[in-house]
Amino acid sequence: MIRPELICPAGTPAALKSAVDAGADCVYVGFRDETNARNFPGLNFSRKELEEGIAYAHARGAKVLVAINTFPRAGHPQMWQSAVDDSARLGADAVILADIGLIDYAARTHPDLRLHLSVQAAASNPQAIGFYAERFGVKRVVLPRVLTVPEIAAINQAVAPVETEVFVFGGLCVMAEGRCALSSYATGQSPNMNGVCSPASHVRYVEAGGGITSQLAGFTINQFGLNEPAGYPTLCKGRFNANGKTSYLFEEPTSLNTLAMLPDLIKAGVAAFKIEGRQRGRAYVAAVVQAFRQGVDAVLEGRPLPDINLDSITEGGRQTTGAYEKAWR
Amino acid sequence: MMEGPHRAGQAKPMIPPFSPVLLLGLALRPVRPALLQPVFDHMLKVVRSQHPDILERLEAYGERSVCIDPIDLPFALILEPDPVQPRLTVRRFVDADEVHATIRGPLETLIALAEGRMDGDALFFSRQLVVEGDTEVVVALRNAIDGAGIDLVADLTAALGPLAQPARRAAGAVLDLVSSLRGSVETVRQSFIAPALQGAASRDARLAELEAEIKALRKASRRGGPA
Repeated sequence: MIRPELICPAGTPAALKSAVDAGADCVYVGFRDETNARNFPGLNFSRKELEEGIAYAHARGAKVLVAINTFPRAGHPQMWQSAVDDSARLGADAVILADIGLIDYAARTHPDLRLHLSVQAAASNPQAIGFYAERFGVKRVVLPRVLTVPEIAAINQAVAPVETEVFVFGGLCVMAEGRCALSSYATGQSPNMNGVCSPASHVRYVEAGGGITSQLAGFTINQFGLNEPAGYPTLCKGRFNANGKTSYLFEEPTSLNTLAMLPDLIKAGVAAFKIEGRQRGRAYVAAVVQAFRQGVDAVLEGRPLPDINLDSITEGGRQTTGAYEKAWR
Repeated sequence: MMEGPHRAGQAKPMIPPFSPVLLLGLALRPVRPALLQPVFDHMLKVVRSQHPDILERLEAYGERSVCIDPIDLPFALILEPDPVQPRLTVRRFVDADEVHATIRGPLETLIALAEGRMDGDALFFSRQLVVEGDTEVVVALRNAIDGAGIDLVADLTAALGPLAQPARRAAGAVLDLVSSLRGSVETVRQSFIAPALQGAASRDARLAELEAEIKALRKASRRGGPA
């Protein structure tokens, strides 16, 4: 049985320490610029902080992966290439890339640097994964959150020894990742190019009568009643009026939680479990990493899964197993 | 600048929880904010020296002021995160148009957020925290503070040298006292609201009876029986 790595998010050095201390096998981080898909205000690592973070993790047997997973602006790849160069120089254990040109640059310039394919590249079949592995030596592929467990198992059989990594907890993106233009439509900025989905600079919350209205670039995204759990102000999680009915058209505010599915995912041959949430605080990181550390260890040691309630940190106060079970088909 | 009718420190749009902090807030009502200002000056000085990375992360937002409004206290704070001359000003009232953004919540929640013991997004999802105005500077502030690893008691006592350890023990004793007071305050709260809860329970029971009656009548009506 494969011992899957637990890949944990960190938006700050303090979160990196929390993740390592809570039992992360790997921590993934980004630089403080638009080279990564969590380019949020006040978040991410300077070069010095990354160097210190890598030293902290390595001293405790954990790895650090650097996400450089946005698509370089046409004609201006320097910032992205520098991010790859600095990751290699500072001793990162791997870089997580999406852009095919940047992957080519990394493979040629740093042949010893381990390459992971970001979910932003949306490689969801053996042919696409095989191309990245054969052409650039990509060792691991983060799969989009649109596959069922049997589909993941079939991919693993077809692409071995290339490893797959799947999301096990956190924000759930239902769009074709790396290709979604909803945020760009409303704000002119996207996770793909600028590293921000529904940027905070375009978000406003208006309180009235105990309820709250969330707005994105002037569009009303949602209205939450008194004490109704709220969600992120993204268009895909908006509640809209259509055909005389007000409802969620794409996706409800909810968090992915596959704790109960870990045995199935391990059986499917997944090499790494990814926790989403570099934008979340240390309390979230510590709670989720501890829960999944206990869960993975329990499965590997043949013990029953722990019963851990993560309701309090979920979006909208709700959880789902998402596409892994595809109950709606 | 921030839009909205709320005046931090006065018209609190959130209902504060009945807690020792709320009682402390009532006791602090007669105190002039100017008397508290040295406490917050010292706090800012200590946090700034212990965690210089906070202002570094906020560099791009130095000109944007944030009102931090503990809903259970009779005053609010204005943070001006200027990297060279940051200011933390205590005020009885803060008008919405004086600041770029407001973060509002119970004091204990705000402290837990500052110390990274609670996740900001989770507090927002569960509506324990209200954000108004310029969301960008609030997100930046939240991330900068969460990333700093603040421990208020440890930070504030660190400069006391040999007295740091006894001061920490004293602070721990105070926190234990507040914790035990919370139980007593909860008992008082339950006692206060017990009559209202009993009334609500009896109304709920009557409502359930009426709903059952309506359901039975509708069923009978559909079958053509007496309506």
